Amino acid sequence: MWEQVKQALTQSTARFLTKSASLLPGLAALILAVLMSLVLGWILAVVVRRVLASLRFDERMARWGFASLTDGSVLKSPTLFVSRSIFVLVILAGFLIGIAAFDFEWTSLLVSGILAYIPNIVGAVLVLLVGSLIARFVARSVLIGAVNLNLQYARLLSEGIKWLVIVLSVAMALEHLRIAPGIVELAFGILFGGIVFGLALAVGLGSKDLVTKSLGRDVKRASSEEIEDPLRHV
Amino acid sequence: METDSISLPAQQEAKQIDRADLVVGILTDLDAEAMMALRDALRTLPGSLRIAVVESDDRNQPAAPASEAPPDSPAVFFVPAPLARPSGPGAGPPSMAAAYHSIFATGERLQSRGCCIVASKLESATPQRVCRLLRPLVEGDVDLVVPHYARHRFEGLLNGSIIAPLTRSLYGKRLSNPMGPDFGVSRRLLQKILGTERGSRAGGNGLHPLASLAPAALCDNLQITEVHFGGRVHRPPDWTNTSSLLSEVLGPVFLDIERNAACWQRTRTSVTVPTVGEPVPVSEETASIDTTRLLDSFALGNRELQEIWGLVLPPATLFELRKLARTPREQFRLPDELWVRIVYDFALAHRLRTINCDHLLKSMTPLYLGWVASYAHDLEMDHFVGPDQRLERLALAFEAGKPYFVSRWRWPDRFNP
Repeated sequence: MWEQVKQALTQSTARFLTKSASLLPGLAALILAVLMSLVLGWILAVVVRRVLASLRFDERMARWGFASLTDGSVLKSPTLFVSRSIFVLVILAGFLIGIAAFDFEWTSLLVSGILAYIPNIVGAVLVLLVGSLIARFVARSVLIGAVNLNLQYARLLSEGIKWLVIVLSVAMALEHLRIAPGIVELAFGILFGGIVFGLALAVGLGSKDLVTKSLGRDVKRASSEEIEDPLRHV
Repeated sequence: METDSISLPAQQEAKQIDRADLVVGILTDLDAEAMMALRDALRTLPGSLRIAVVESDDRNQPAAPASEAPPDSPAVFFVPAPLARPSGPGAGPPSMAAAYHSIFATGERLQSRGCCIVASKLESATPQRVCRLLRPLVEGDVDLVVPHYARHRFEGLLNGSIIAPLTRSLYGKRLSNPMGPDFGVSRRLLQKILGTERGSRAGGNGLHPLASLAPAALCDNLQITEVHFGGRVHRPPDWTNTSSLLSEVLGPVFLDIERNAACWQRTRTSVTVPTVGEPVPVSEETASIDTTRLLDSFALGNRELQEIWGLVLPPATLFELRKLARTPREQFRLPDELWVRIVYDFALAHRLRTINCDHLLKSMTPLYLGWVASYAHDLEMDHFVGPDQRLERLALAFEAGKPYFVSRWRWPDRFNP
């Protein structure tokens, strides 16, 4: 009896050790892949940072309206953001290569699943970037236009438009990532509709007097200018 | 003896003309009577000239009756063309540019010695004005004839506050109306403008004839003459559109500064140009303006556009603007030196494409309106100072500030006070 237990234990230990030993090459490959990707990622990040710095990427992004894209975060500079993103991506790629080296069915499935999801991530990031760019451009246009029309609530209007576009682009990005699409759709509909409805109510009811006064003043001003204003610009 | 062809179908007549000594472009509304007067006035020019008058083909005025031209006097032909008129619907600087281009192209096609363009309404008669613009081209070796309109206190403010003093300080010639819009142009200058226009269009950088005529002539050291006219009849302001106006007018001016950087950086001082005629006196003006709206706009811009101005203006200028916004309204004065730096900084930002050009120029509107308010206060407080003296002081400030502009232009990053 004791012999049989001893034999079973020995066989189980041998199987465990054999299995563990068979994992060692994969583990070594994973560690090597991560180490290599660390080195490669670091080199690439340094090269990209230097190239972007020489191209004055931060200034250009500021001109295009991305100056405050990373406000409040650790990454104050778009150059740092891009170079660190590349660093992380390379490490992630190295990790996936290392995982694939284990030659298990589930690791292959995991890797292929992650790889298949990458286009969605890239698409979502692009949608967010373009959305942010459009939001800032439109917000700036609205702000300048409203100030030139002497609207006291110019900033409010500009911020409102900016957040509308950002909310729209975030909803599109989440849709692209296939994260709870039903909820996102519903939430976006409620949020967007709510904002528009709120604005309509504010103008129609809450700010009725203000709007009436404002419009009346504009009309009065326009008609009086045609008659009296002696200013001529060109 | 030649017979004028006004009574013939215009289109048919246009085909018959293959050469003209002078081309006159009419971009303003003239009735048949005025056209007859114009024809008669043109016949007073010396020599047996062939003069083609290019007019808008959408004129609703009946054709002037034909008449026999006296012997040895110029023959006048009327050529219809699809021209946009300043008073027409949707007419603005872009359509004006197309009209100028069309007239220049006609001048080149007809191998004319010169062109004259009349685009503004004057308090005085148009036909005499056309002849006064043409005479220096016919009788002398002049390449550009620019108008010197009698100045009213609150008219032509964009020209007085930016365009004229900027042209004077950069290019070194004291022109009171460098952007016309009435001009006399020699064949030499016309060809240069058309050539530059083709080149710049190929490079995707459009050229605006109105903004480019004077700088092109100045950079090539061509002969320029000013002709004294009476006051212009200005269009009433569209307050909701001042920012678009600023963008449309200043955009081409700033582009030209960029194009001619090598030329204006060599110029140090300014000189007057020869003038024809005597200054026309303007009637005493007592009109005053309410600056409340202008100052409201300045204050609002100062509050809301700091983020955008911060990309364009140095901190010292921003600080002064914030200080100005806090001064009592009746004491509001925008110092000339500050205004000059603002204009120069915006011109530089336009060159560096710091932000979208349209945003940049439109964001300048509250500052411009602040200057207008300050100018109005100056004139109202000191009745002995006329607009000419006030704007002369501003022009001197522009000249004094030129080294600042040159330094910032050459070293935009290093030289940032």
